[in-house]
Amino acid sequence: MSLLLKNVSLPLAHFTLEADFAMQRRVTAVFGPSGAGKTSLLDLIAGLRTPRSAFIQLDDDVLTDTAKKFSVATHRRGIGYVPQDLALFPHLSLRQNLLYGCKSGGTNNSRFTFNHVIEVLEIQPLIARGVTELSGGEKQRVALARALLSSPRLLLLDEPLASLDAPLKTKIIPYLARVRDEFQIPMLCVTHDRHVALALADEIVVLMNGKVMQTGPVSEVFARPANAEVAKFVGVETLQPGTVTSVNEGLATVTVGKVTLTALAPPPASRDVFVCIRGEEVILQRDVAAASSVRNRLPARVLSLSPEDALVRVELDAGFPLFALVTRPACAELALREGETIIALIKAPAIHLVPR
Amino acid sequence: MKRKTASSGSTALQTRLRITLKKKIAFGPGNAKLLRLVDETGSIGKAAPHKTELFMDTKKFPKYLVLLAVALMTLSLPLRAAEITVSAAASLTDSLKKIAANYEKQSGDKITFNFGASSTLARQIEAGAPADIFFSADEAQMNGLAKKSLIDPATRKSILGNSLVVVVPSDSPLQIKSASGLTNASVKQIVLADPKAVPAGVYARAWLEKLQLWPAIEPKVVPTENVRAALAAVASGNVDAGLVYKTDAAISKKVKIACEVPRADGPDISYPMALVKGSPQLEAAKKFLDYLSSKEAGQVFTHFGFLLQK
Amino acid sequence: MTSPEWQIVGFTVWVAALSTLAILPFGLALAWALARGNWPGKSLVETFVTLPLVMPPVATGLILLTAFGKHGLGGLFDFRIVFTWRAVLLALSVMSLPLLVRSARTAFEEVNPRLEQIARTLGAGGWRVFFTITVPLAARGIVGGMLLAFARALGEFGATIMVAGNIQGKTQTISLAIFENVQIGDDAHAYHLLGVSVMLAFIAVWSSEFFLRRKKTT
Repeated sequence: MSLLLKNVSLPLAHFTLEADFAMQRRVTAVFGPSGAGKTSLLDLIAGLRTPRSAFIQLDDDVLTDTAKKFSVATHRRGIGYVPQDLALFPHLSLRQNLLYGCKSGGTNNSRFTFNHVIEVLEIQPLIARGVTELSGGEKQRVALARALLSSPRLLLLDEPLASLDAPLKTKIIPYLARVRDEFQIPMLCVTHDRHVALALADEIVVLMNGKVMQTGPVSEVFARPANAEVAKFVGVETLQPGTVTSVNEGLATVTVGKVTLTALAPPPASRDVFVCIRGEEVILQRDVAAASSVRNRLPARVLSLSPEDALVRVELDAGFPLFALVTRPACAELALREGETIIALIKAPAIHLVPR
Repeated sequence: MKRKTASSGSTALQTRLRITLKKKIAFGPGNAKLLRLVDETGSIGKAAPHKTELFMDTKKFPKYLVLLAVALMTLSLPLRAAEITVSAAASLTDSLKKIAANYEKQSGDKITFNFGASSTLARQIEAGAPADIFFSADEAQMNGLAKKSLIDPATRKSILGNSLVVVVPSDSPLQIKSASGLTNASVKQIVLADPKAVPAGVYARAWLEKLQLWPAIEPKVVPTENVRAALAAVASGNVDAGLVYKTDAAISKKVKIACEVPRADGPDISYPMALVKGSPQLEAAKKFLDYLSSKEAGQVFTHFGFLLQK
Repeated sequence: MTSPEWQIVGFTVWVAALSTLAILPFGLALAWALARGNWPGKSLVETFVTLPLVMPPVATGLILLTAFGKHGLGGLFDFRIVFTWRAVLLALSVMSLPLLVRSARTAFEEVNPRLEQIARTLGAGGWRVFFTITVPLAARGIVGGMLLAFARALGEFGATIMVAGNIQGKTQTISLAIFENVQIGDDAHAYHLLGVSVMLAFIAVWSSEFFLRRKKTT
């Protein structure tokens, strides 16, 4: 399955959505903050909006080609859509909702039989209920099943967890994963939630202010954000301006505040950089022990401790503001207190430099 | 400044009014008496010879005050002229308008017309519509009002007659030589003023019933509110033929007469007129009613094709 | 109430109902086009559709008479429209159309366009979406509009008398009969028909309000 988007341009309220990327992997997440144009992008792919210019191709079929004034009608694209507001038909029964997209009343594709879908998404107990009586999570599953039952070749999901509260979110993700695995259907999932992206996607497209900032495997994007905005969004705890003073054998010396760090060399022609350090990559140690592989050992003073679920977020002053994420037991063992001095260890590969 | 003074030396108390302007009397009892005389006689001319009664030396008053007084008097004249409302049959529209124009020039009175089907007008008068004169196209409607004591029978007169004609649109190929021509299949729709009550329609129906053709013709009838509406329908070309008064056919260029109903065969068409009881302008209305019987008016009626009957 | 009076009532109700059905396809199409999307000339069409509501009915009747009379479309075919029951149908249709369009348009506007879009992604073409999603969801407003149009058609006078005339047994509706009866002094019949007229109008409007008023909040 391949989805190709080229020269996409769609003027929106505050900016113009522009995209140029190809989706090759099975599950792609379009990741970005609210209002970045993600829903509009899905609408374009589904044929629900007309772009100023675009070339959209799914496998071997050209869906949209504005240059040739060609556009396949929505109902012929074979693309399933689960919108953010779910859009279940209130005047139809649950069963009628599910079967709406089914041609020849029920089975079109052996992978998507009615019973199979119902089973995977555990809708059976709900089938007698009215569509308006369902809870948020139940509606989500019904909307998903309805889209699946139309035997699409691509499934678009818009913020699948947005209308759910925290405990429900964790319950739905497994369903989505099941859909991905059981039905082997390509999915393009729009979200601003890291957990969805991390849990479901093979590939990520970062969309901010209508522009594609970065694409690539999930781990790659999270580890190496392409620029400061992406870094902030994917959740890099420490983001500080710095200057590369020298580059030697693939290692760069960077000055941040009053401190010098060693990091992997950034791409050429960038002296002014942002230094990105993920909280999880900062190791805290009591004393300056024996030689270790860590290049950066910074004395730091503990400014504050904020518990976050199973972790503790430690705010440090290491000559520049530095954040560390450690487990609670670790925090207890080290007996961390505010005002104390401690050593912060950061491996050179964990320091990511982004041009400024 | 106003001042009321009581006169001295008379047994009856007379209030005298003086309006003074800058210490000179602008309006005094003399002028008042002059105006009263004008009121009684109806014109300044007639009041003037009585000047000697007024103890007024007109030469003494400044000119502008005299002009002011005269202006006041002439301005009040139109308020005094009568306005009469005449409810008249639609077929009389053009002739009456012309007669009224002549009359207004002579008398200074104003005539307002309410033209329509005589039946409708009679209903209006019954319901209390303000009309001074009723000029109907048939005796039946006038009889109806007379029975209800709504008209003054002493003033009732029937001075006009008319005749019926069959008309077709001026570009119509149809040839209707007589009443039986109306029963022809090529004549699909015939327009009449509502034969239930409007005189023109009642006359037409009476004629056709006499010839025993009514049952055959009735299904084709398109009734209209009054005879002029029937004429308009034929003129528009939307109906094949119609029965209207000869005087109506003469008005429109878009219709032509297919055949005329001979007076001997046709019904007796008579236009009575009378004063409506309770008219607020009795004098003026009576005057106009008399004028309608005059030779001058008669000439206008004849010019439009009406028949004068004594 | 005499037999001819019942005939008049029957005729009026029948032609009014027929006119409501006659304007339904065109009225719904127009309402839907006005509800969705912006197209050139939209405000012009909106205004024209509203005109019969605001113009004097006799003026509208005159337009119809000119357009469909001998010198208009009526003269093209050997098919009589003016001064026949077809003219009554025409007058009632034209005069009641705006009411249907307005109510139906509001009803369509209240249908969430997202539902229509999702239906399309599920493979439903334009007509299927319209009949399975849009119309059912707008049904209340549409029925309310139809009843309102029916009520208006029942009471039509000005345009009808202009283009169809007041021909007893052929084009005479309740309002035309009342008019004639008053003119010829037949008040008794006029009042009978008045009573029926009020009753019919009351029922039609009351049930129309029922459909237009109660809206489910989802």
